[in-house]
Amino acid sequence: MASQTNEIITVSVPPEAGYVHVLRAVTASVAARLPIPYDAIEDLRLAVDEACAWLLARGRSASGMTLLLRPLDDRLEAEVSIDAADGPWPPPDLQQSLPWKILSALVDTISVDTERGRPSIRLTKRTLEPSRTT
Amino acid sequence: MSSVERPIGSTDREVETELFKRLPDDAEAREQLVRMFLPLAEYLARRFDRRGEPLEDLVQVASVGLLNAIDRFDVERDVQFSTYAAVTIIGELKRHFRDKGWAIRVPRRLQEVGLRVNAVLPELSQELGRSPTVEEIAARCGDSPEDILGAMEAVQAYSTTSLDSPVGEEGAAPIDVLGGDDPSLEILDGWASVAPAVKELPERERRVLYLRFFRGLTQSEIAKEVGVSQMHVSRILSQTLSFLRGAVLEEGDPLREAEPHGADLDET
Repeated sequence: MASQTNEIITVSVPPEAGYVHVLRAVTASVAARLPIPYDAIEDLRLAVDEACAWLLARGRSASGMTLLLRPLDDRLEAEVSIDAADGPWPPPDLQQSLPWKILSALVDTISVDTERGRPSIRLTKRTLEPSRTT
Repeated sequence: MSSVERPIGSTDREVETELFKRLPDDAEAREQLVRMFLPLAEYLARRFDRRGEPLEDLVQVASVGLLNAIDRFDVERDVQFSTYAAVTIIGELKRHFRDKGWAIRVPRRLQEVGLRVNAVLPELSQELGRSPTVEEIAARCGDSPEDILGAMEAVQAYSTTSLDSPVGEEGAAPIDVLGGDDPSLEILDGWASVAPAVKELPERERRVLYLRFFRGLTQSEIAKEVGVSQMHVSRILSQTLSFLRGAVLEEGDPLREAEPHGADLDET
């Protein structure tokens, strides 16, 4: 799990559906710098959309939504989080829920967590071949 | 259904006037008027088709225009309702496009990049045996990776008719390519909550959803199977997922709520 690069890209936006496209675009832009195929970038984009919508539906009282991107040797990690949730997070029926099903078809791994009161969804997508760090 | 396509005859006009006199309290009269003039709304919506907006959305916008026209029409005025309604509906459609103006005006240069991407995607995928990276696409197109990304984003935000045109020779209408399996998504685990919404989807959208989430095909494979460009597949997926999300959240989107006769829309 140890990262071999320290690059982290963070973007924070107001927790509104209208800003999701910003996070989507940044994800695609960072992904495009890695050896990630076009198909996978489109999948990631859909996944970020889905993850944001999922959190937004549960975070009406939130005041911020943050995307954190971590390009690693063999994968790109994208974590979306909000700063407050109205209900329990992760939701009780997690793996049965539709967003989970959709996300699992789009990315390689998903983990759903709450850290310091921030509900988050972390997605990873593998790169084509291990890239060399520069 | 009604006689909106030919000049409205006196009988219809009498019925019409009768119905308008029962407004605004009589919900049934209102509904009957909606049903009579829905074909007009659909006809006008179709005139705005092929401008990058899905027809279903346009029909909804037109239906909202129709409802407004019904509510605002004054029988005392010496104007036929169909004329009044047409003006109101067209106004609503134009406003819709104007509101979305930022999105329609995809810069010409990006449109051209989009066309090049669409053209090279299938050949590159074939050569490489996998979906190409943005850098590989950029190199083949002679554009910068930023432009490739810009085009991807523009197509997502908005479709331009040219990019939507079927790929491949003859441009087989996508409907011809739709295969035999019957994607009954609604019985599948996890998707039950959106079953009614899935049923509302046009056949092609259902099929793309099915191929991606149940057969696990990649977007480029789906593009080949359904006969549209990959960019288009991606847009279909993104719109379909957001439609389904709207169906899960009770709020839905305002247009759908403002349109109480949804069932009628599908029947005509």
